Amino acid sequence: MTTEIGQGITVTKTGEQGAFGGELLTINFGPHHPSTHGVLRLIVDLDGEQVRRLKPVIGYLHTGIEKQAEALRWQQVVVVTDRHDYLSPPFNNLSYALAVEKLLGVEVPPRANALRVIMCELTRISSHLVWLGTSGIELGASTMLMYCFRERDTILDMNEEISGFRMHTSYIRPGGVMADATPRFLELLDRFCNQMPGNIDEYEALLTMNPIFRSRTIGIGRLPAEDAKVLGATGPMLRGSGVPWDLRKSMPYSGYESYDFEVATSDLCDCYGRYLVRIKEMRESVKILRQALDGLPDGPVNIDDRKVLPPPREELETSMEAVIHHFKLFTEGYTVPAGDAYAAVESGRGENGCYVVSDGTHKPRRVKFRSASFVNLQPLERMAMNHMVADMVAIIGTADAVLGDVDR
Amino acid sequence: MGVEALAESLGQNILTTTLGKLIGWGRGNSVWPLQFGLACCAIEMIHTATASVDIARFGSEAMRASPRQADMMIVSGRVSQKMAPILRTIYDQMPEPKWVISMGACASTGGVFNNYALLQGVDKIVPVDVYVPGCPPRPEDLLNALMILQERIKAQGITPRQ
Amino acid sequence: MISDNLILERGVSAGDAWIAVAPENVHMALGALKEEGYRLLVFLTCVDHLADSSGQFPARFEVVYELRNMETRELIRVRAFIDGDPPRIDSVHDLFPPANWDERETFDMFGVVFAGHPDLTRILMPDDWVGHPLRRDFPVGGEVVEFSEEHETWQTAPEKA
Repeated sequence: MTTEIGQGITVTKTGEQGAFGGELLTINFGPHHPSTHGVLRLIVDLDGEQVRRLKPVIGYLHTGIEKQAEALRWQQVVVVTDRHDYLSPPFNNLSYALAVEKLLGVEVPPRANALRVIMCELTRISSHLVWLGTSGIELGASTMLMYCFRERDTILDMNEEISGFRMHTSYIRPGGVMADATPRFLELLDRFCNQMPGNIDEYEALLTMNPIFRSRTIGIGRLPAEDAKVLGATGPMLRGSGVPWDLRKSMPYSGYESYDFEVATSDLCDCYGRYLVRIKEMRESVKILRQALDGLPDGPVNIDDRKVLPPPREELETSMEAVIHHFKLFTEGYTVPAGDAYAAVESGRGENGCYVVSDGTHKPRRVKFRSASFVNLQPLERMAMNHMVADMVAIIGTADAVLGDVDR
Repeated sequence: MGVEALAESLGQNILTTTLGKLIGWGRGNSVWPLQFGLACCAIEMIHTATASVDIARFGSEAMRASPRQADMMIVSGRVSQKMAPILRTIYDQMPEPKWVISMGACASTGGVFNNYALLQGVDKIVPVDVYVPGCPPRPEDLLNALMILQERIKAQGITPRQ
Repeated sequence: MISDNLILERGVSAGDAWIAVAPENVHMALGALKEEGYRLLVFLTCVDHLADSSGQFPARFEVVYELRNMETRELIRVRAFIDGDPPRIDSVHDLFPPANWDERETFDMFGVVFAGHPDLTRILMPDDWVGHPLRRDFPVGGEVVEFSEEHETWQTAPEKA
C-alpha cells in the first residue's frame, strides 16, 4: 500500500512482519521537530519501538548560497559564507579565504594567522557549547542549556568587540582579517582563558558521571572506526570512533603546526565517546587560545595589496591613488586568476572545505562548500539501526549536524 | 505592587474594567511562542530564553513545539521554497487568536539571499504582526518585538483579528 | 595503480594536483585510485563552463572528484568533461559511499545523470521543481531590487549579460 505523505514523498507499506509479531510502522519525524536540530526530516520504519529503516530527507533549509555566490563579487561572497554553517562562521570564512588566497598566490602576515586561529578556536568552543546545551536538554539535563549559553554569551560579546557583530562576524576575509584586535578584546580573551577550564569542569560535573546521561549515551549509536572511514565521516564523528584525524594536525593551515595541542579521540565509538571528544576539544581549544594570545605577533593584519584589500581609512584623506583603489575595489571588485583551488579547515563538526573556480573575472564561476554535516548525516541509518526511537534523538544530537550546513 | 499589597489597598472596593481589556491583559502577558527554529536566528532565539536575557520576565518562556499549544509563531530564519508549505500548515494548525513575529532579515525580506531557493519574506504566506530587523537580531531585539506585540494584543480586546 | 593510459591530462592548479580522465573511464580510474590509497572522497561536484571565454574546456560540464589519501595526506582532483542532454556519467557510489548524496545533489543542481545510482532523485529542491538551479543558464531568481543598477545582470543568464 502506497501512501502519499506530502512533499511528493510516498511511503510504501510492505506489510512486512517485525520481530515482535507486529507490522512495520512508518512514521514521519520532522521537519518541524524540537529535537532534530533544525529542519531535518526522517522517515523511520519502526518495529515496535526499534528503528528498522531510516531515510533522512533534507533540503528544507536550502538557501542557494552557492548560486548566490556566483552573482556576488569575490569580496562579497565572504558575507554569504558566514551563513551556511551558522554555528561556525569563521571556519566558513577561513576555508573560503584560504581557497581564494591559494588562487591569488598570497600569504597573510603572522598576526592575521594568529587572529584567525583565535577566532576559529573561540568559535569551536561556542559551537560545541550549543551542541552540549541542546543535547543536554534532549537527554534530560535541562540545566546544561543555561550553563552553556552563559559562556556562549561571553564569546559572542567578544565577537562583537572584535568585529562589531555577535554571530556572523565576516571577520576573516581573503587577504587577512577585517580589523585588528582591540585591547579590550585581548583583555576579555585573557579572562575567558582563565575562566573556561573551570566552566568545563562544571559541565563535566553535571554530565560525565550522570547516570541518566550515561545510560542514554553509552553503547548508543555505535560507529566502528572502519565504518566511519568508509562512510566519509570527519570531525568528532571520526575521532569519537578512535581515528586521530584532525586537519589541524594532519594537514596544518594558518600556522596550526606551531601550537601545542592534542587531538582528542575516544575508542568508545558511541554517543558517549563523541561527547568526551567534544569536551576534550574544548579544553584543547582553550590551550590553543592561551598560546595564541601569549605569542600574538606584532605587525600588520592584512596583506599589503591595494588591488585586493581597501586602503586604510586615514590614507583616503591624503592620497589620490588610495581613493582610486578604494573606488575600484567597491565598484568592480578584484579579479582572481583563472583556475580552481580547494582549501579545507577543521571546523567544530569536521572538514569544512571550499572549492572555488575562477574564470578570471571579478565574480567566482563556482563556489562549492564541502560541508561536514552533509557527509556526517549519511551514517545516521547505520548508527540508529536497531535502536529505540528515543535513542535516535541522542544519535542525531551527537552527529551534530547543522541543517544550514547540510542544505546550504 | 505585590498581590497581597494590591488586595489590601483595594479593601472592600471593586475594580471596574471592560471585558476586552481584561482579556487583552491576560492574553498579552501569557503569549506562548511556537519555536519555529529554522536557521541562524533560532540560536539567538534560544539565547532569548536563557538566563542573561530571560524572556520569562514577559510571560513567554513556554516555548512550545506543538502548534496546538502556541499563540505566537516566531519565524526565526530563512524560509525555503520547500519549507514554505510546511510553515503554512503549522500556522493553520495554531488555534485563534494567533500572532506571527518574523525574526531576522531573511524571514522578513529574504535578507542577503535574493535567489530562487528562498521565499522573499514570510509575509507572502502568513500575516506578520511584527518584523524584527537584523541578521540575526540581538536577543534584546526579539524581546522588544515581543513587547510591541504585547502592547498590540492588549489593545486588541476580545476579537483580535477581523 | 592508475595506469597512464587512463589519464588524458595532468597538471597542477594553484598547488592542487589534478588529472583529467575520459568520462567513460571514471569508475575505473577512481577504483584504481582507491586501490592506490585514496580512500576518502572529499567531495564530488560539477562546474558549468557555459559561455566560458577562455575556450580551454572540451565540454560544458566538468565533474570534479576530490580524493584524499589519509596515510600520505595527499589530495588529488579528478576531472571528467561531459556534454549531452542530459549529461551522463557513471556513478561511483559503490566505491565511495558518501558519493551517494553528493551525486544526488549534483543531479539536483546540474541535471547530471549518474548511471547506476540506486536512488537518483532530487535531494535539496522540492520534488516538483523544474530546472537545475546551479546551471549557468538558470537565473539567480529572487525579486527585483528597485533602483539597482545590478538589476539587468542579476536577472539575466550569463550568456546574455
